[in-house]
Amino acid sequence: MTVFPVRSDAWRQRVTNTALMLWYGAAVLFLFAPIVAGIGYSFNLGVVNKQTATLTGWTLQWYPAAWYDLSLRRAVEASLEVALWSALIAVAIGSALGYAIVRHPHPLVRRGLTGLTYMLLIVPESVVGVSVLLFYAVTHIPFDTATLIAGITPMAIAVVALIVRARVLTLDRRVEEAAADLGSTRIKTLWFIILPQMAPAIATAGLMAYTFSFDNLVVSAFLTTPQINTFPVYLYGSLQYGPAPTVYAAASIVFLFTLLMLGGAALLYRLRRRRNAAMAVL
Amino acid sequence: MVVLSSISRGVEPAAGRSGRRPMPHPMDHVLAAVPVFWLAIFFLAPLGFTVVFSFGHATFGGVEPGFTFDNYRMALSGFYGATFARTLVFALSASGLCLVAAFPVAYFIARHTQRRRNLAIGLILIPYFSSFLIRVMSLQMLMSRGGVAEAVLNALRWHQGPLDVLDTQTAVFIGMVYAYLPIAIVPLYVVLDRIPGPLLEASRDLGASRWRTFLFVTLPLSRPGIATAALLTAVPMLGEMVIPKLLGGSRGVLMGQAIAAQYLQAQNYPLGSAMAVLVLVLVAILVTVLARLTKGFAEVGR
Repeated sequence: MTVFPVRSDAWRQRVTNTALMLWYGAAVLFLFAPIVAGIGYSFNLGVVNKQTATLTGWTLQWYPAAWYDLSLRRAVEASLEVALWSALIAVAIGSALGYAIVRHPHPLVRRGLTGLTYMLLIVPESVVGVSVLLFYAVTHIPFDTATLIAGITPMAIAVVALIVRARVLTLDRRVEEAAADLGSTRIKTLWFIILPQMAPAIATAGLMAYTFSFDNLVVSAFLTTPQINTFPVYLYGSLQYGPAPTVYAAASIVFLFTLLMLGGAALLYRLRRRRNAAMAVL
Repeated sequence: MVVLSSISRGVEPAAGRSGRRPMPHPMDHVLAAVPVFWLAIFFLAPLGFTVVFSFGHATFGGVEPGFTFDNYRMALSGFYGATFARTLVFALSASGLCLVAAFPVAYFIARHTQRRRNLAIGLILIPYFSSFLIRVMSLQMLMSRGGVAEAVLNALRWHQGPLDVLDTQTAVFIGMVYAYLPIAIVPLYVVLDRIPGPLLEASRDLGASRWRTFLFVTLPLSRPGIATAALLTAVPMLGEMVIPKLLGGSRGVLMGQAIAAQYLQAQNYPLGSAMAVLVLVLVAILVTVLARLTKGFAEVGR
């Protein structure tokens, strides 16, 4: 060992590297297993219109069945609508919050806003859910789509605010100072100088807010009624009667759709960056 | 990822490049006031109601305003107290296991991937973006009797006969670690990635072994990431209600479900509120402890 210290060290490092790589592979396998299984079960025949853990045969019938299942379709449509509004509100309010966290002139206000944003993230969702339920019950506000949307916006706002904040931190203030020196008002600077620079971050944030709002289960579970039922809440409720085979087909489609959307966004982002890099070179 | 990394960064925004404070403009106040207004109504006010209700008297399906600690006494004793304690132990141990599982993954991504780093981190994040409920449902299918996990374990001869893991605490544990693993990996990766390579080389040059370098340089420097990862996993676990319900059955009741049941079934709002406030207190304690851990680390490898 002491004779060949270098060789033994290299050997040991190779073992460590291999072990780390295997561990990483195992983690990815573990994380993907249920997703692959879910897609697999969407093709599983099941027994008498119930999905079963045992694979009983292959079929494609659940895809058209999911498409023609009216309550399932209504739930997906409700989710699309709720997530869209939630993302829009979150983009408007979260961007303002993300900007104010960094740029508000008073440090005390900045610190307060930062605290509020982190609070949004760390209060457990079940606590938020029961609190909002209680709030609506006490104020006698009847449940409808608007109350559901309002209830799930705080988390979406936090996501947008943190992404936008990260971008605002990297903005070059000299550009704004130059604009001011050239006679631009603050509002004009915000609209023509700052907003365009933040646009990619805002778009990314909006996409994430949309994904998270679409997937929101815990808060939504407290705020839905038989009339307004979102996709995750519908799935959660249907589990009481054993998973209907159509849900895996619907879930697979939703997953594919999310993946395409995120992939498209990533691609756009990359193209943009490449173009910017090319412009910087010129 | 941006969200998570910005948390573990915790950069204080600079007051201005030129050092002078910009003149306040009405617009600044509008931009701060709109979010505060919205969140005050739809976030702070509901939490306030919960706190107020937790001191009220329960009537049949309603609440009488008052000031009593009865609800807290009830929430901390008997079945509810046991649930509370179990939830705490559960969240801390599952979060710990999550971190232990996540650290080598984050280390691998930060140190051993160069060109394919985005792919490596993407593979961790893609599952996180797919529906949480579907993943837990599929996990349930995988772990149930006659499921795929049983078949695989039997084929590998690690297990004989039917697998009875579903509806046990173990299943809830597996589900928790599964669901929160990506959120633990990202902050750890961010902090490990920012440790300067020359620092580690210096440690090696000064004669420290690889293991000692890890133990005395890498690990202490990744403390902020560890604290953030612990926070982001342990806190949601305290309120988790879907995983215990789907994977733990009746034997895995945790605080989140117990609170929900007070609102949706028992209609005992004050008791449910007191339990919710207790969870919030636990969260606050966790945050304070973890903030202490990262104190003085804001400037590490920025």
